[in-house]
Amino acid sequence: MKKLALHTQILIGMTLGLIFGMVCLEFEGLSGFTLDFIKPIGTIFIRSLKMVAVPLVLASLIIGVANIGDVSKLSRMGGKTLGIFVLTTVISITVGLSLVAVMKPGHKLPEETRQNLMSLYDSNAESQISAAEEVKTRGPLQPLIDMVPDNIFFATTQNGRMLQVVFFAILVGVALLQVPKQKGATVLGFFNGINDVIIKIVQYIMLIAPYGVFALIASLIIEIAGDNPEKAWELLYALLWYTITVVIGMFLMMIFVYPILIRYFSKIKYLEFFRGIRPAMLLGFSTSSSTATLPVTMDRVEKQLGVSEEVSSFVLPLGATINMNGTSLYQGVSAIFIAQAMGLELTLSSQITIVLTATLAAVGTAGVPGAGLVMLVIVLEAVGIPAAGIALIMAPERILDMVRTMVNITGDASVAVVVASTEGELDPDFDKKLTTEQSS
Amino acid sequence: MKKLPIHVKIIFGLILGVIWAFLSSALGWNEFTINWIDPFGTIFIRLLKFIAIPLVLFSIISGVSGLTDVSKLGRLGGKTLGAYMTTTFLAIGVGLIFVNVIKPGTRIDQEQRIKNRLSYEVWLQDNQMGPSQDGKSYLNDPTYAQYLSPDQELHQLTEAQKSDLEKKVSAAKEKKEGKPLQFLIDVVPENIVFSISNNQLMLQVIFFAIFFGITIILIPKDKAAPVIAFVEGINSIFLKMVELVMKVAPFFVFALLAGVIAKMADTPGEVFEIFLGLGSYAITLLGGLFFVAFILYPLILKLFVPKVSYKEFFKNMSPAQFLAFSTSSSAATLPVTMECVEDNMGVPRSISSFVLPIGATINMDGTSLHQAVAVIFMAQLHMVDLTFAQQLTIVLTASLASIGAAAVPSAGLIMMIIVLQSVGLNPAWVAIIFPIDRPLDMCRTVVNVTGDATVSTLIAKSEGELTKYS
Repeated sequence: MKKLALHTQILIGMTLGLIFGMVCLEFEGLSGFTLDFIKPIGTIFIRSLKMVAVPLVLASLIIGVANIGDVSKLSRMGGKTLGIFVLTTVISITVGLSLVAVMKPGHKLPEETRQNLMSLYDSNAESQISAAEEVKTRGPLQPLIDMVPDNIFFATTQNGRMLQVVFFAILVGVALLQVPKQKGATVLGFFNGINDVIIKIVQYIMLIAPYGVFALIASLIIEIAGDNPEKAWELLYALLWYTITVVIGMFLMMIFVYPILIRYFSKIKYLEFFRGIRPAMLLGFSTSSSTATLPVTMDRVEKQLGVSEEVSSFVLPLGATINMNGTSLYQGVSAIFIAQAMGLELTLSSQITIVLTATLAAVGTAGVPGAGLVMLVIVLEAVGIPAAGIALIMAPERILDMVRTMVNITGDASVAVVVASTEGELDPDFDKKLTTEQSS
Repeated sequence: MKKLPIHVKIIFGLILGVIWAFLSSALGWNEFTINWIDPFGTIFIRLLKFIAIPLVLFSIISGVSGLTDVSKLGRLGGKTLGAYMTTTFLAIGVGLIFVNVIKPGTRIDQEQRIKNRLSYEVWLQDNQMGPSQDGKSYLNDPTYAQYLSPDQELHQLTEAQKSDLEKKVSAAKEKKEGKPLQFLIDVVPENIVFSISNNQLMLQVIFFAIFFGITIILIPKDKAAPVIAFVEGINSIFLKMVELVMKVAPFFVFALLAGVIAKMADTPGEVFEIFLGLGSYAITLLGGLFFVAFILYPLILKLFVPKVSYKEFFKNMSPAQFLAFSTSSSAATLPVTMECVEDNMGVPRSISSFVLPIGATINMDGTSLHQAVAVIFMAQLHMVDLTFAQQLTIVLTASLASIGAAAVPSAGLIMMIIVLQSVGLNPAWVAIIFPIDRPLDMCRTVVNVTGDATVSTLIAKSEGELTKYS
């Protein structure tokens, strides 16, 4: 049998998962079986990817920084990366805001459904609001403090503290550049070895990717449907316009904004870019976790798009924690949607406020895990929309999270390409690699 | 401006920080200071904290595994280590007696101490550190209600939380009182990775590091070589990190001082009060160091080598002591110390060249004494009563952590942070004693060097090789 390409395998897994999930809904008892015996495969898949994320970031970033060779280049790259992160964040929020202004999904929401949703998700909204309260009582410079670990070993035991690991690894790399060569050599060799081992481990994990994805999608369908599939579809249907608006925005980012960026800064062709990273996008979609997808994203960006390891190991882990274009776009759309549904008119100045606070919130909650909705609460309160309104958008949250993650990952990969290209770290022969891989 | 040595710049940072603290309390800028300046101080402390644990771990491993001569020299090696440890414990004992008798931390305004104590408890709660070291809770004591700021009132516990806290405190007490050897048990880690990921289990990390280092000496050389090379590499990386952090230290120190004082004091009078406490701290510490260098060492020497007169000993040693005072580095003073000990005291080269370098690495009488006095002073300043057992933990951590510290720049500062957090006190308190650290550092190096010299003389005498004075 001819070996199928990775993305084809994943796509087949997803499709079969979708079909299988639908079938499960029809048969009593099959759902329970799926949740008990098939879902664990998906969970194991996600866990094994997350397992290698911290060591991979640590080892590859230490080597990456040490290979860059001088600190001034590192800081120039850092500045450039953060600049592009902010730029893409602002673009994505603006796209979201313009789209929602044109499509007006909030006006299409019947008053009765609104009341219904509000009472249904009341308690969820409460907990998000109180979490946001906590974030707001922190000092203005708290994000900076949170970047610095107070115990590096503890930080490496928590996936939520990836930013601290990144900070530490950069510092180790910089120190490594400055110690005498023969003293640093052993350490560098050690991390080089670790890095190679982990890359190999990722390849083994990817062998079960199609099955993992199948299990994830199948169980997702069952969980969304819950005990009462009819009601679940009804809820989703009521928010159909909102969901469509978000999804269109996401696709605009992926199909126009990023390719334009890449086209402008590098020679990579439109389709080549997607061909290179599509397994990572698909995985991001099915796992809805940037951290779990990170090992695959790094692998694809380096081997298929020709970004040097120095750049990818620096840009991608940072991007996974602080650059969330999909999330920002989603916030812009959701904020206005809630305002529209509640019959509030937003002036131009409060729309600008949304852009600013959403950007700041994206940066400010970088270290806080699962901050998407918390950030939204902060944005809502900044323009005076009742924060309880987030109850309206809870129903399609899981599905939108998947699309969001896909955009986040595509964004990170694009930034990596742009930074590499402007730093001369982009391998000009990347397309040859691509073709050889496909013919083999 | 660029040519200034780093410690001069740090002193500038200190002075600016103190001036800023006065200005900010006088003009009511404390909120600005806490929001925008204090975070950099916190970052400074966090940087040092996360560097400290791996640094101690790897520097002890590399220090101990480097002592291969000791195992070769057998009897002499054992004797040397024994003598160094004895003098260290004596010095710490002197420090403990001085600080507990003089009680420098209690010599400031009572009201200020209560305020300090309350903010300490708030810090404990914010960092989820559990009950305070002495198990008391001033926050919930109605006697002190008048001192509470509105923000602190928010931290008062409900009845349920109170009883929960009391349970925790009594459980901790029971654990300690039940078994007399519990402190020994606590030194041995159950899971070393857990221990190094927890800032309060430093003693376990040190235990592991010493054990690991000794084992490296005992396995075949060719097998140990890659491990040693790796440890040395990592160690030099962390040393470089300290150096990098210290490059920006002047600014960080400014922020730390301004921030800590802004949190402690609202008016210039209160700022002044805090510095008043420092005076009595310095006097206590100097008294202790003076006692060890000028009374304890000569006494020990007189006991074993009766022929050396008091005056002669100091005449012989004074060049090394003066250099130690001006460089505040026992490693830098080493060549002169060797010269003094060999030429003036008549210790044979074979002994001095073995005993003194080890002393410069592991023997830190003055430094350990300083740690003990400083930590207990800070606890007194914040009205935290430490039991004798807790004080012993501090001492043990301090003296063991100082193994291998000689190679570490600003070792005193990093060790202090380690000791403070290992007993659950706030590491940011180092800011309080930071202003007068440099002059005291000079004095404690004198004690370290004098101690090394005394021990080498004793060893020579016991080997029957001190011909000049026998």
